[in-house]
Amino acid sequence: MYNLFKLELYKIFKRPRTYLSFAAITALIVIIQIGLLKDGKEYISFVLADLGNSFEINGNLCNGYFVCFCILQLLLIHVPLLIALIAADMISGEANMGTLRLLLSKPITRTEFVLAKFAAASVYTLLLLIWVAILALFVSMAIFGTDDIFLVKNNYAVQIAKDDIFWRYIGAFFFAALAMLTVAALAFFLSQFAENSIGPIVATMSIIIVFTIFSTMSIPIFNKIKPYMFTTHMVAWKEFFDVKVNADNESIVGTIQRPDKIINSALILIAHIVGFVGISVYSLKKKDILS
Amino acid sequence: MPEIIKVNGLCKTFGKLQAVNNLSFSVNEGDVYGFLGQNGAGKSTTIRMLLTLIAPSSGTIELFGKSLSSHRKEILSQIGAMIERPDLYKYLSAYDNLKLFAKLSGCKITNQLLMNQLEMVGLADRAKDKVKGFSQGMKQRLGIAIALVHNPALVILDEPTNGLDPQGIADIRNLIKSLSTEHKKTVVVSSHLLNEIEQVASRILIIDKGRKIIEGTTQELLDPNQTVVDIETNDAQKTYTLLSALTWKNHLQPLINDKISLTLHKHQIPDLLRSLVKMNIDVYALQQRHSLEDYFLKVTSGNYVQPV
Repeated sequence: MYNLFKLELYKIFKRPRTYLSFAAITALIVIIQIGLLKDGKEYISFVLADLGNSFEINGNLCNGYFVCFCILQLLLIHVPLLIALIAADMISGEANMGTLRLLLSKPITRTEFVLAKFAAASVYTLLLLIWVAILALFVSMAIFGTDDIFLVKNNYAVQIAKDDIFWRYIGAFFFAALAMLTVAALAFFLSQFAENSIGPIVATMSIIIVFTIFSTMSIPIFNKIKPYMFTTHMVAWKEFFDVKVNADNESIVGTIQRPDKIINSALILIAHIVGFVGISVYSLKKKDILS
Repeated sequence: MPEIIKVNGLCKTFGKLQAVNNLSFSVNEGDVYGFLGQNGAGKSTTIRMLLTLIAPSSGTIELFGKSLSSHRKEILSQIGAMIERPDLYKYLSAYDNLKLFAKLSGCKITNQLLMNQLEMVGLADRAKDKVKGFSQGMKQRLGIAIALVHNPALVILDEPTNGLDPQGIADIRNLIKSLSTEHKKTVVVSSHLLNEIEQVASRILIIDKGRKIIEGTTQELLDPNQTVVDIETNDAQKTYTLLSALTWKNHLQPLINDKISLTLHKHQIPDLLRSLVKMNIDVYALQQRHSLEDYFLKVTSGNYVQPV
């Protein structure tokens, strides 16, 4: 299976489409960074408008950590699209090219085939995320410098000390990796039901968009199904940026307010990944290859 | 000769469509086995079942004396296949495509081996070119190189001459012959180009609507009693009248567009020629037709009764 996995990686990174994703994400992040570099102070004033009347806030607010947080929020839809672009093509693309029948008539089992393909799609997903991390976090830190981060939530604000942030980003990126692997697993699962990649890509994005709308709307009927939708749990990386406070309402260094929420969401996402890949293995084993 | 393929009572149903219906046949070692049928006859479905791409609804398949369902990997490692039109990876070169599939087949690869395969199918000078620039014929030839790269004992070629020019068709025909005679491989080749099968196959299976119509050696299926002779003379009307007055009357087919045709035994052709000479008829051409095409069209027409 390792041999098959290597060949799948070879195919992914021989395709120009793969590098388009990296180029697109680079362009997006650079545009945001340029925007914040030029008008970061105005943007911060706008974000903190309500708090400005009650507090005096000093320091480098538009710092690398803040910029990274903004980028991660904005890329919630874009990164899944770029992941779906490759993951949704993994099986449907082979069917479209006429290579699926050739591959499955080789001495490899269909389980090995699915697992090797998903493993290769996962490597691509993780590399894309590492690239996002490099650009959004490390480049932003280099350009904008570092300082405390000041985040405005629904009905409260959080200030996290400069020295207490980096590990939170590491945790957030690990969690984001899990969320993006869920997207990859969904796109991969849908990939086997089509003979070209357009359908699975559109289906994956439609599911994410519709579920995200349900997840963000506070309508009672939607609230009942929210816990079962993976999109609800994909944004749990933000929990790394909610800290516990002491009696004086001061942040306690090294704490997360709701670690149980992160663990619960992570487990639900893992269950989705296992479920999507498991069903993919089962249904491909049962499938007649007619393409 | 040991049986390489043994298929017994094979059936495949897609919804209400019975694509393959109680099909049984066997292929011996060293055979070039021609698999004939019109479009939709069930050839590709059967071949896909031999390659585990489609699961049979019922029936058994044994290859190399082992059950395909329980020895899948072991059996597939000994098979090289090209199924219909191979499009391959357009963004890879011919060499890279071949290398990739060779690795998947688990064989030891050397640059020389890969280049030899490309040389064999006439693509050595295009080895580094991306497949997206290839014609269908070139892809077809690369598909055959991929099927053969791991030196399989059994080669299955589904419509191998599709998209090839006449020279390409002749090359593939010679390749199939050499696979059997020089390399001692067993070859299963399907096609609807009947004259192609006729020229390469040692045994032929004709299927129609998923059912076996007839199976046998090429010689057995080409009934010498059913040879058709077309004659071109200086005066077709006169020739037809004179032949009608003789014993050839029973062999004559109706005269259409001044074309004279007789159905007779192959051994009667010299007598026919002598009769024409005696009648002072100028014979411009005498063409014998005993191709499988007439036979194929007859047996798949639905009203053929196999002679006992």
